[in-house]
Amino acid sequence: MSSLCEDQELLDGFLTEATELLEKIDDDLITLEQSPCDMELLNRIFRSIHTVKGAASFLEFELLVKVTHRTEDVLNKLRRGEMVLNPGLMDVILEAVDLVKVLINDIKGDEIKERPIDGIIERLIAMQTEESGNATEISAVTTVIVTETTPLATPAPAPGDDQTASRNSAPRTSGEELTDKSTVRIDVKRVDDLMNQVGELVLERNRMIQLTSDYQNETNLAFFGEELAKLSKRMNFVTSELQMQVLKMRLIPVGNVFKKFPRIVRNLARDLGKQVDLQVFGEETELDRSVVDEISDPLIHLIRNAMDHGLETTEERVAAGKPATGVIMLAARHEGNRIIISIRDDGRGIDSDRVAAKALEKGLLTQEQLSGMSRREIFDLIFLPGFSTKEQASDLSGRGVGMDVVRTNIQKLNGIIDIKSVPGEGSEFTLTLPLTLAIIQSLLVAVEKETYSIPLSSVLETLRVKEENFHTIGGRKVLKLRDSVLPLLGLAAVFDVRTEKKRASYCYVVVVGVAEKRIGLVVSRLLGQQEVAIKSLGNYLGNVPGIAGSTIMGDGRVALIIDPSKLIDLDMNI
Amino acid sequence: MDAAAINLNEHSTEERMQLVSFILDKEEYGVEVLKVREIIRMPNITRVPNTPPYVEGVINLRGKVIPIISLRKRFNLDSAESDGRTRIMVMDMTNELTGFIVDSVAEVIRITSGEIQPAPPVVSGSVDQEYLSGVVNREDRLLVLLDLERLFSQEEQQLFTGKTASA
Repeated sequence: MSSLCEDQELLDGFLTEATELLEKIDDDLITLEQSPCDMELLNRIFRSIHTVKGAASFLEFELLVKVTHRTEDVLNKLRRGEMVLNPGLMDVILEAVDLVKVLINDIKGDEIKERPIDGIIERLIAMQTEESGNATEISAVTTVIVTETTPLATPAPAPGDDQTASRNSAPRTSGEELTDKSTVRIDVKRVDDLMNQVGELVLERNRMIQLTSDYQNETNLAFFGEELAKLSKRMNFVTSELQMQVLKMRLIPVGNVFKKFPRIVRNLARDLGKQVDLQVFGEETELDRSVVDEISDPLIHLIRNAMDHGLETTEERVAAGKPATGVIMLAARHEGNRIIISIRDDGRGIDSDRVAAKALEKGLLTQEQLSGMSRREIFDLIFLPGFSTKEQASDLSGRGVGMDVVRTNIQKLNGIIDIKSVPGEGSEFTLTLPLTLAIIQSLLVAVEKETYSIPLSSVLETLRVKEENFHTIGGRKVLKLRDSVLPLLGLAAVFDVRTEKKRASYCYVVVVGVAEKRIGLVVSRLLGQQEVAIKSLGNYLGNVPGIAGSTIMGDGRVALIIDPSKLIDLDMNI
Repeated sequence: MDAAAINLNEHSTEERMQLVSFILDKEEYGVEVLKVREIIRMPNITRVPNTPPYVEGVINLRGKVIPIISLRKRFNLDSAESDGRTRIMVMDMTNELTGFIVDSVAEVIRITSGEIQPAPPVVSGSVDQEYLSGVVNREDRLLVLLDLERLFSQEEQQLFTGKTASA
C-alpha cells in the first residue's frame, strides 16, 4: 500500500469521489427498499459501486475491490431480476456499503499514518462470511469466490475502540472535503487582470453618470446620441471581457483529469497482457471545474473500453499485420465555445453485426426495430444499460454499466457523443462538451409567439424546410437528412403552444444532439444567438419536463431554456 | 385546520394584526401583511409549459425569476381578463417568492385577533375549506382569511418539484 502515496493528487481525487458517491448510495439504497422496482435507481446505485470499484482497482486497494466486487455481484443479480430484494439482503448490502466507507476512511487515515488496517481485514472477513451465508441459497458462484478470497486475508483481532474511532471520524473528514470544494486556487495574474477590468468598468460608469447629468442639464444635447452609442459599445466590451475573466477563474486545465490515465493504462495493459502506447494531446486545454468533475468517470470508462474491447491482443495484431503495440490517442481541444475530447484507438473497430446480435440476444430490442437501423444507430446500442458483448464479467468490464455511466454523465452536461469506427482500423469516441455550465451560448427560437432558448452546445445544425418535406414513419414525423432519418419533435405540440391559424410556408428544424441521440426540434423561426445566464425556476417549478431553467432577456422578459436531454426522454415516453 | 385562528383566540383579545385585503370574484379576502413582500402591476408573463393550468408562468422580478399563480384558476372561479386594477401580490412562501394574481388589492386593515372567527362550513362557494383560516365579520363586510401556504399541499409540491416531501 505504500506505493499508493506516491501520487497524492490521484489518491485525493479518488477519496473525494468515493465519499461523494457513497453518501448518495445510502440515500438511494433506502429509497430502493421502498420502491424495489425502480430500475433507474438500481442502475444508479450499481454505477456508483462500479465506479468506486474501478478506481479502487487501479489504485490497488485490494480489500476495497473485493468488497465492492462482491456488492456489485449482488446488485447485478437484482438488476437482472435473478434475486428479489428483501430486508435481509438489504441489511447485507448496507453493511457492505458501510464497510466500504470504513475502508475508505482508513485509506484517508493511512495518509496521516494513524490507523492500523488489521481491524478492517477482520471486519471484511466477518462481512464476507455473513454475505456468503446469505448468498449460498441464491448463487453458488458467489459463494465459491467468497471462500476463495477468505484465506487471503489474514485475520487479526480488532480492537473495539479502533472501529469506533474510524466511524466517528467520518463526519469530520467529510466536513473537511466541503471546505476543499468551496475554495479555489487562482493565479495572481488573473486576479490582477480582473482588477484592471473592474477599473475600466468604473471609468465607464463615471462616463455614464457624466452623460446623464449633461442630458439633464441639456448641455451638449446634439452629441448625446452619438456619445451614448459609444458608451454602450465600450460597456459591452468591458463587461464581456469581465465575464471572460471571471469565467477563466473557474477554468482548470483538463490535464488534471488526464494525468491519472497513464497509470490506469499501464496497469490495465499489464492485466490484459497487451502492449499499449497512450498518447495525450491538448492537456493544457481549459474547462470549467464543474465540467472537469463530471468527465473524469466517462473518460476512464472509455479508455478501459478502448483497451479491453478495442485493442486486439499482441498476437492478433501481428497476425493482422499491425504494429504489436496498440495506440490510444487522447486529445482535447477547443472549438468555439465547446471543448472536444476524443479517444481514438487503432484496434479492431466496432463489429456492428456482433453488437446487433448481442442486443437481440439480451432482449434489448426486437428484430423489427433492428432492421430499420443504420450502422451508426447500431453503434449507439452499446450505450444501453446492461449491454455487453463480453460473456463473463471481469474486474475490468463486461457488466454493461460503463457506457451507461458515459452516457449519463455526458447527458447531464448537455454534451454530445459521436462514434466513428472502421472495422480493422479502430474506433474514435468524440465528446463535445460546453465550456461552462453557468453562462451558456444559446440559440433563441420562436415557437409561434413564444421565445425559447436552446443551449448552443447541443445544437448541431439548423435547417429551413417546407412542412411538406416531412415524412411520417410509424405515426411520427421524420425528416430525411442526407443519408439518415431524423426524428422530429414539434415544440409547439410538446409545449402546448397556442398555434396561429395562418401557417407560414417554411419552418425551421434545429438538430440537437444529446449524448449519442439526435433529434430535430421544429420551431417557427430562429431569432439568433445570445449568451445567457441560467436562472433556476425556483423550488415550485424546479422540475418542469423539458425545461432546464430560465434566463432574462434584454427587454426584461423571461425566456425558458430548453433541456434537450429531458426533451428526448419526454419524447421516448410519448 | 383552524390552528392559527384558535391559537389567536387563546391569546388576549387585545392582540392586533394587520391584513392586506384583496378582491377575488367580488369577494373580499385577507392575508397577513407580513407575508406580502410587494404588490405589482401585471408584467409580461412567460408561460411555462406542462404545468397545472393555475400556474400562469414566470416573471422577472428585478433579476429574480418567480412563479405566478392565478388565484381565480386555483380556486376554480371563472377566469377574467386582467384590467387596470389587476395586481400581483408577491408573497414569501417558505422563503420562496411567489406571485398571486388577484382582481384588485383593497387596503391594509387592522384587526384584533378576537375578531377572527372560525370559518363556517360553507363560507364561500368555491374556495376549499382547507385554505381558510377564519373569517372577520365587520358590520359592513365579511373578510375571509386565507392561508396561502396551504395552497401548496404536499402532493402539489411533489408535482412541481418531483421530490418526495421528506427530501
